[in-house]
Amino acid sequence: MFRLNSNRLGWGVTFALAVLVLFPLAAVIIQVLLPGVFFGSLNLGDLGLLLDLFERPLWRKSLENSLLLGIGTAILGTLLGTVLAMVRMQWRFPGARLLDAAVWVLFIMPSFILAQGWIMFSTGNGLAASVLGWHWVSGAVFQPAGLIVIMTLSKFPLAYLSVKAAMEWKVEMLSDAARLCGASPFKVWRTVQAPLLLPAILSGMALVFMDTIGDFGLPSAVAAVYRFPTLPYSIYSAIYTSPIRFDMAGVLSLYLVLLIAIAMLLQFWVLRRSRYDVLGSRAVPSEPKPAGRRLTWALGIVNVLLLLLVIGIPIGSSIVMSLLKLQTGGLTASNLTLENYASLLSEGSSLLPGLGRSLMIAAAAAVVGLVVGLAASFVLSYSRFRFKRGIETASLISFAVPGVVLGIGYIFVWNQPWLENLGIRLYGKPAILVLAAIAGAIPVITRVMTGAMAKVPESLLNAAQLQGGSLVSRIRHILAPLVRGALVSAGLAAFGACVFDLAVNSILFPPNFETLPVAIDDAFEDLRFGYASAATVAGGGIVVGIMMILERLLRRKGVSV
Amino acid sequence: MKLWKTKSTAALGLLLLTFTTACGNGNGQPTAQASSDGTASKAAAAPASAAPAASAEAPAADAKPAAGEEITVYLNDFDAVIGDMFEKKTGYKLNVVVGNGAEIMSRVEAEKGNPQWDVLWIDSMPSVNGLDQKGQLLRGWTPDNAGNLKDSFEAQVPEDHSYYPTGAHAAGVLVYNTNEITQADAPKSWADLTKDTYKDRIGTADPAIAAPAYPFVSWFFENKGMEGGEQYFGDLMKNGMRVYPKNPQVAQALTAGEVDVAMLQETNAYSLVNDGEPVKVVWPEEGAPGSVRVAAIQKDTQHAAVAKEFVNFLLDPQVQQQLIDEGDESYFEPSAEGVKTKADREPNAKLNITDAAWASEHEAEIKQWFADQAIQ
Repeated sequence: MFRLNSNRLGWGVTFALAVLVLFPLAAVIIQVLLPGVFFGSLNLGDLGLLLDLFERPLWRKSLENSLLLGIGTAILGTLLGTVLAMVRMQWRFPGARLLDAAVWVLFIMPSFILAQGWIMFSTGNGLAASVLGWHWVSGAVFQPAGLIVIMTLSKFPLAYLSVKAAMEWKVEMLSDAARLCGASPFKVWRTVQAPLLLPAILSGMALVFMDTIGDFGLPSAVAAVYRFPTLPYSIYSAIYTSPIRFDMAGVLSLYLVLLIAIAMLLQFWVLRRSRYDVLGSRAVPSEPKPAGRRLTWALGIVNVLLLLLVIGIPIGSSIVMSLLKLQTGGLTASNLTLENYASLLSEGSSLLPGLGRSLMIAAAAAVVGLVVGLAASFVLSYSRFRFKRGIETASLISFAVPGVVLGIGYIFVWNQPWLENLGIRLYGKPAILVLAAIAGAIPVITRVMTGAMAKVPESLLNAAQLQGGSLVSRIRHILAPLVRGALVSAGLAAFGACVFDLAVNSILFPPNFETLPVAIDDAFEDLRFGYASAATVAGGGIVVGIMMILERLLRRKGVSV
Repeated sequence: MKLWKTKSTAALGLLLLTFTTACGNGNGQPTAQASSDGTASKAAAAPASAAPAASAEAPAADAKPAAGEEITVYLNDFDAVIGDMFEKKTGYKLNVVVGNGAEIMSRVEAEKGNPQWDVLWIDSMPSVNGLDQKGQLLRGWTPDNAGNLKDSFEAQVPEDHSYYPTGAHAAGVLVYNTNEITQADAPKSWADLTKDTYKDRIGTADPAIAAPAYPFVSWFFENKGMEGGEQYFGDLMKNGMRVYPKNPQVAQALTAGEVDVAMLQETNAYSLVNDGEPVKVVWPEEGAPGSVRVAAIQKDTQHAAVAKEFVNFLLDPQVQQQLIDEGDESYFEPSAEGVKTKADREPNAKLNITDAAWASEHEAEIKQWFADQAIQ
C-alpha cells in the first residue's frame, strides 16, 4: 500500500516545483543554447552571451545596481521589519492592528502603484513641496540612496510577517532564567530572544532581497531622473525589442537564479551550527503585554508617524489622485470629485468582473499553494531529502525572476502542439493563471512556514510517529496547530499578492478574461489616472477587508483579541 | 465574539457571491465586457450596417462560415469597442487579447511554434514587418476595401500584401505646460529642444521599454542617419532630458511639474488637453514621426474566412469613422478615403512615417543604443 513518507513527499514537492517553476524557467534559459527548440529547429545558440554580463556595460551596471539595491534594502528592510514585529509582539499599543493592516496593504500593492504615490509626493511641485513646503524632499528621494529608502519602506513587510509569525509561541523560561541571572531586558533581548529568531529574520531578509532584485516597477519609475538600470530593466529591454531576445532574457534570469542560490548558501552557512527547536511543553502563546503609560503613548505616536510615512505617502497619494478632477489642479475643494468611483460601478466597467476573476484565481492559488508550500517547508525542516537545497532555491525563484519571464516560459511549456494532442490545453484558459499564481505564491508561503517550523522540534513529531501517527496526521494534529498563525499569514499573503500580480497576468491572461491588475494597467496606459487610482484604492480596500475578516475567522480559537 | 464571527462569515459570503456572479456575467458575454460605450455603439452601428454588408458578400471565393464562429484577435487598442462593432455587423465573435505593444509582440513570438491568434492589429508596423520577413503572415490577399485606401497608406502596403494599414497617429508630438512656458517660449520644432531654455525640463518615454517610443525615435535615425540620430538624442540627454519607462509616467511628470515639455503619443497628448490640464499640443513644423496601425492575418489560421472579413471590416470607412467617434485611441489619421478626423485634431497634421523594413532592420541596434545611454 502506498504510504506517504517524508522522502516521497520530497519527490512530490520536487515534481510540483519543477512543473510550476523550473520547467518554465528552463524553457526560457534554454533559448541561449537552442534558440529555436520550441519552434522545430535545432540551431546552436551563442554561448558567448553567458559571459556578456561582464562585458556589456549595461548588463554590468545592471548587476551592480541590482546588488547595491538588493543588499541595501535587505539590510535596512529586515532591520525595520524585525524591530517592528518584536515591538508589536512585546507590548500593547494603540493602532497595533492598523500596523498589521498597513503591512498587508504594502505587501499586496503592486510596486508601480507605490511608486506612483512616492513620485506624486516628492516631485518638484508634488504634495511635499506644495502642501507641506518641504522642498528638500525631491532632492533626497531622487537619488540612489533615496531609492533604497523607498524600497525599504515598501518591502519591510516581508521581514515583519516572517518574524511576527515565528514569534507566535515563545518559551518564557529562557528569558526568565536570563533575567534571574541579572541580565538587563536589553541584554535578554540581544542574547536570548533575538538569536532565537535568527532563522525567521534570515528568511525575511532573503525574501526582501529577492523581491527587491526582481522588482521592475518601482526602481524604473523612481529612477527616471538619474537612470538606474537594474537586471529586470535589462530583461525588459531584451524582451521589448524586435526581434525579441528571449536568449538574453534567459541569460539575465540565469544570473538572478545564481544570486538566489548564493543568498541561500550564505543563509545556510550562517545557520549551520545552530539549532533553534526550542518549543516544548512549556511554550506559551505570545500575548503582547501592557506597556507603561508613557511607553504606550510613545509607541502610539511612533506608530502613527510610521503609518503616515509608509502608507500615508504612497496610498494617500493614490487616494488623493483618485479624488482629483484635474491632476494639476492641486488639493482644493473645487477640484475634488467622486466621479472616478462612480464610474467604477457604472455599467460596462471592467472592474467588478475583473476583480471577481482575480479573487477566484487568487483563492485557488492560495489554497493549492498552501498545500505545496507546507509540504515544501516540511521537507526543508524535517526530512533528510537529498535535494533539499535545490528545493529551497527553487522555491524562491519566482520571487526574483520577473513575472514576464516566467510567463513566457509558461507559454513555451504549455503551448506545445503535442500537449494539445494529449488533450492538455491550459494556455488560453484561466487555469494557466492559477498555475502561475501558485508559482508566485510559493516563495512567500515556504519562507514564512520554514521560519515558523524552525522552532518546532523534530522530537515532537518523532514522538507521534512512534505512536503510529502517519505523516499526514502528524502534520495535521501536531505541526499545523503549532504553526497555525504562520499558516494563516502565509495563505493570506499569497492570496493578496496574487490578486494584484500584474506581470504574469499581462502576458498570460486568456482571451476575454481581463483580470483586475490588467484592467488597472489598461486604464493607466490610457492616462485615466483618476480611474486607475480609484480602481486600485477600491480593489485594494476590498481585498484587505476580505483578508482582515479571514484572519479573524482563522486565528487561534479561544484567544479573543 | 460568536455573533461577530457569524456576522463576518455572512459578510464574506455575500462579498464572494457578488464577485462570482459578476464574474459569471462577464464570462457569459465575452465580447461585451469593458465596453462603457456599449449602448451607444449599438445605436450607431445599426443603421450603418446595412450598406457595407452588401459589399462584403462579394468575395464568394471563401465559403462563408456560419454566424457565431469566433476568431482571436491580438491588439493593443480599441479593445472596448471593436468586439461589439464586429459582431453587430457580421455575426462573428471576436476573442480579444489586449496588452501593450511589447506584451502582445512577446506573446506572438513565444507562441511561434503554435500560434493562438488569427489576426494581429497593432500600431507597431516595423515589428509586423519583421514577422512577415520570418514568414509568419498570410500573404497575397487583397481585401475589397483596400481600394478605399488613401495614396499615402497604399504606399505602406508591402509588396506581398501581408498586412494593411488601418490608420496612423503621431508617435510623438510636443506638449508643454502652459503654466510654466509662455506661447512665445514654446518649442516649435524638434531642433528647439536642444536649446538652453529647456535645460532639465524635457521628458520622454524610453524606447528600450515603451512600445510607442520606437516608431518615434526611429524616424530621427532614418532622417538624420544613424550618427545624426545619436548626435540629436545625445544632445537632448546632455540638455538634461529625463527618460521615463512609459508614456503614462511622462504624462504624470508633466502634470506634476517635474518636466515642462514632453514628447507624448498623440492620443495621450490630446486626452490631457481634454481632461482640462493646462497643456498645449504642438505639431512641429517638420512634422511628427508617425506610427502606422496595421492588421495582419496569421499564416496558418484555421479561420481564414472570418479573419479576412475582419481585416476588410477594419478598412471600411464607416468602421474607421466609428472608431474615431467612439474608440479609446481616437486621435489618428484614418487610412480610408472620406473619413473625418476628430474635430479638435490639428487639421494640417503632418506625419513622417519611417520605412517599415528600414525600421525593422535597425530596431535592435537603435534600442540597444538607448538602453546603453542609461549608464552614461
